[in-house]
Amino acid sequence: MDSIVSVKRDEAGPKADLPAIPPAIPYDEMLTPKGAVRPHYEALQARLSTLSPDELAERQKTQERFFLLQGITFTVYGAESSTERIIPTDILPRIIPGSEWATIEKGLTQRLQALNMFLADIYSEQQILMDGVVPRELVLQAPSYRREMQNLYVPHKAYANVCGSDLIRQENGAFAVLEDNLRVPSGVSYMLANREASKRVFPGTFRGAGVRSIDRYPDLLLATLKSMASDWRADPQVVVLTPGVYNSAYYEHAYLARLMGVPLVEGRDIVVHDNMVYMRTTTGLRRIDVIYRRVDDDFIDPLTFRRDSSLGAAGLFNAYRAGNVVICNAPGTGVADDKAVYAYVPEIIRYYLGEDAILPNIETYLCREAAQLSHVLANLDKLVVKAVGASGGYGMLVGPHSTKAQRAEFAEALKADPANYIAQPTIQLSTAPCLVDHAVEPRHVDLRPFILSGEKIVVTPGALTRVALKKGSLVVNSSQGGGSKDTWVLSESKGERG
Amino acid sequence: MMLARVADSLYWIGRYVERAEHMCRLSDVMLNATLDRSEAATTVARIALSAVGDPDAAKAERPYDAALALALDREDGGSIYSSVARARENARQVRDQITTETWERLNLIYLRMNDPDVAASFAEGSQQFLHDTIADLHLFKGAGDATMSHGEGWSFLLLGVYLERAQLIGALLEVVFGEGRRRRPISDHFALTNVLRMGCALEPYLRVYTAEMQPRFILQFLTLDEDFPRSIRFCTDQIEQHLSAIIRHAGLAGRVGPDRLAGRLRARLQYADMTDLENEGASAFLKTVLDECSAIHRSLYDAFVAYPLEDRLPA
Repeated sequence: MDSIVSVKRDEAGPKADLPAIPPAIPYDEMLTPKGAVRPHYEALQARLSTLSPDELAERQKTQERFFLLQGITFTVYGAESSTERIIPTDILPRIIPGSEWATIEKGLTQRLQALNMFLADIYSEQQILMDGVVPRELVLQAPSYRREMQNLYVPHKAYANVCGSDLIRQENGAFAVLEDNLRVPSGVSYMLANREASKRVFPGTFRGAGVRSIDRYPDLLLATLKSMASDWRADPQVVVLTPGVYNSAYYEHAYLARLMGVPLVEGRDIVVHDNMVYMRTTTGLRRIDVIYRRVDDDFIDPLTFRRDSSLGAAGLFNAYRAGNVVICNAPGTGVADDKAVYAYVPEIIRYYLGEDAILPNIETYLCREAAQLSHVLANLDKLVVKAVGASGGYGMLVGPHSTKAQRAEFAEALKADPANYIAQPTIQLSTAPCLVDHAVEPRHVDLRPFILSGEKIVVTPGALTRVALKKGSLVVNSSQGGGSKDTWVLSESKGERG
Repeated sequence: MMLARVADSLYWIGRYVERAEHMCRLSDVMLNATLDRSEAATTVARIALSAVGDPDAAKAERPYDAALALALDREDGGSIYSSVARARENARQVRDQITTETWERLNLIYLRMNDPDVAASFAEGSQQFLHDTIADLHLFKGAGDATMSHGEGWSFLLLGVYLERAQLIGALLEVVFGEGRRRRPISDHFALTNVLRMGCALEPYLRVYTAEMQPRFILQFLTLDEDFPRSIRFCTDQIEQHLSAIIRHAGLAGRVGPDRLAGRLRARLQYADMTDLENEGASAFLKTVLDECSAIHRSLYDAFVAYPLEDRLPA
């Protein structure tokens, strides 16, 4: 499962002993290379200069307390007892000017539109494979490809109803897509909770900045989910399916169910009878029409997928095939965020939409191609190598931080099964000001906006900004000192000059 | 309409919260009473510990250790810590059904009991600690009352509260007034006052019966009083009311068993008087009450939570 608690890329940050200019100076969200404050950060900077370090630290503490009390926590299981921790949050918002957001929004819409078309195609006619734009075996042999989805009707061809793409800002200031998450993306509750918190911490600055609202996410999500059953049910019953209270994203599942006003169900609450899906209520069985599932493909139905799963419901997939329930996101969407397929996304966009990709990819070497493999092998110390099927940072080699032995080991693995690997240049994430130990310092950040697709595609004007709170680190993973912060998307007219 | 699992969790939140509160009060009364080094004080400690199911006489000699274990022992499923943790775990499982205001109150208690320094703060002021916990549990109930919809879910929660309370008060009264086990009747003024404190009943009792401490009056007040919220009679009234509310919400009128059981129990308490109670014997009477509470609990499960699916499949 995709998780914001997952391990992410590491870095080859500038080393202190290197002379002169480090290989790449990261783009800073607040300061220009000459040290001037960018116009959209001026108001925040002005407010910060009036607050003492202690006042800032006090606000930080208040915010952490708010998260703890709300139960916005994940559980750390120890030898003797388990404790609950909050995911660190940083009180300084990350600010994105309206015009930049307009590009992001267009780019994400275009990308998801193309990816949905791609999924609809490979699960029906497979035209794109016949035309040789994407290699057939790359798709059909991907572990995330679900043969069971072949020729199954998906309303509006909306396979990935909720998508969370990870964007990064490159050294030149342009945003690029690092990864698409079309399976079970999480983190949206942090986007919403961070917003609540930052409204409290910087009310005046917030009001003056003209920040676009993200409050409508829950009802837009509900509308998206309902639109998936609207052609056969007047008022469809939507539920959120969670693996349960021990899942690290449980808070989010309960949060979304509460804000949408729909039941939060677990596998044990669901009964499938005659290809109809019901939930056990105090008044007997009630029909379910749309399932927003926060359970991985593998676990939703032990009859169809993993037999040892008790997180889903037996017979659920057949009910889906019979058209009596809609599962969101559709099973099998993972094939479109496969790390090897990722390299083809610009081609996929061109194939279906006849347009160039608005948001570029990160340069990616496919080790399955002999020429690219030899390039990768020759540059193992500079590249990040990732296993295609794996996620969550497993099976990854970070060249500049690796030992000789690790590189030798990976070289063997690459030669043995090149199709299983891709490689990318080590990426320099942009930096944004963060509060660290009573001082404001730059830290690396990425950006995860959330895109909904049902009858139409909607991009929420906000995002989860993940932060690597350790100095120099590019690991935005929460278990390794990563955290999150609020993201202010400004209205187009605000925060920009000439 | 609500998920059967959710109803189950809400019901258990009610039970655990009530249990935690009762045990805090028992511990608090015990610690306070045993500041006196009298025989009556030991009697009070023995009553308190017997009422929580631990009649070990040796423990009553060391009330502080007993209270510490009762409050914070994580291994003991019967401790206050365990009750709070379970109430909160159930609340987490139905987080979408509880208002944020209500959740925060319970989470606050849980976070305090989980604090690494909790043993130290208990040692520093155990009665203050117990007093604060009781006050926060009241805030939890108050926040629920003020912010949650008083619908089906609320009724399940309160059903848990009142069934638990009826059983806890019943168990306490059995320890004090039961005839079995060749026990001497308790007549000491100090001990009786503290029995009332254990039922949080001292002040309301004084207003009805004045400062005259009569075992008979105390039994009558805690069993049959119509208005006192911790009398068994009051609890059975509430149980019946919340059950019929649930049945009304579920549209199951006339079809289920628990309401009949609850009606019978309520009537038993409503029409009993002290003469009946004395003729029958307090032990026998209380046993009937406790048995009927258990029967209501079971039939509640059969009707709403663990019903056989065959009965409920669409035709």
